[in-house]
Amino acid sequence: MNNKYESNKWQEVINWVQTRSLFMLHYCTGCGAIELPPTMTSRYDMSRFGIGPAATPRQADILLITGYLSTKTLRRVIYTYEQMQNPKFVMGFGSCTINGGMYWDSYNTIKQLDKYIPVDLYIAGCMPRPEAILEGFLKLKEKIETGSADGYKRYNKEYEKYKKNQEKVLGEVKRRQ
Amino acid sequence: MRSENELIKLLNRDLNLLSFKKLRKQNISIRFENEELVSGLNYLKSQNYIHLATISCVDWIEDNQFELIYQLFSYEDKISLSVKTRINRKTSKFVTIKNLWGVAKYYERDIHDFFGIKFTGNDNMDELILENWNEIPPMRKDFKTRQYVDKKYDWRQYHGQE
Repeated sequence: MNNKYESNKWQEVINWVQTRSLFMLHYCTGCGAIELPPTMTSRYDMSRFGIGPAATPRQADILLITGYLSTKTLRRVIYTYEQMQNPKFVMGFGSCTINGGMYWDSYNTIKQLDKYIPVDLYIAGCMPRPEAILEGFLKLKEKIETGSADGYKRYNKEYEKYKKNQEKVLGEVKRRQ
Repeated sequence: MRSENELIKLLNRDLNLLSFKKLRKQNISIRFENEELVSGLNYLKSQNYIHLATISCVDWIEDNQFELIYQLFSYEDKISLSVKTRINRKTSKFVTIKNLWGVAKYYERDIHDFFGIKFTGNDNMDELILENWNEIPPMRKDFKTRQYVDKKYDWRQYHGQE
């Protein structure tokens, strides 16, 4: 019992530390990319909250999907996501990632991002303003601190389910593992 | 620098046009027979219409025809020319113009992606924009988008939805 208490405490400390330094990789093929420069720079300045942009997937903690994904870009997103190291968190941004948004009947864009990669948090809106993005980041930090942002664990556990969904829309997905 | 009327006069003298139309200021549309198109484009290129902005395509399903539109521009006349021709929808074959403008091979691949038109002489007809597509080309009018979407993707279920 003592042991369990200790490991929980350690986990809390680790979670707390994690929220203090988050690096974000933004996947910008959708129109949401235009909201990120003001969020990152001095107007809204997300580094106030300990979040900065990352250069490569391997150094990033957060994968921000800004807007619609065509099946062709979904394949690249899956490659990107699988390159990231644990713990990793995915944020869906804008209504396109939630239910297709204005591309709801397009033949070539996916309708629900969480079928293909595990999403920890959605930001609704078309487009969400930088305030909403910052609110989303704060919410994500809360979730990380309480340990409920467990998308990467779900991805490992339910890998077969995600793989099946991915292959339904993409055909074969080559992985380097 | 020619005016629109001077240009139309010149084209009527030297080329075998099916029809021409002054759409608006600095914007003219001309129409060719299939066989006349390449030589027509060749002539226009020699008349300073050196910029091929794009090749576009329209599916006239009721006439059983595809319309190809070559957008040209002259930096000297400052006039945009839409050069049009209609081809048979069933055979959907046309000749390439990659020898006139190198960039045309990419526009032609693009049209092959979305309309399924083959350009003879252009040997690389691989997919340019789409990936693993094995339905009928998506921009054809008889492609049923909604049916395809229903089959391929799942709609999100909301609480309280039947």
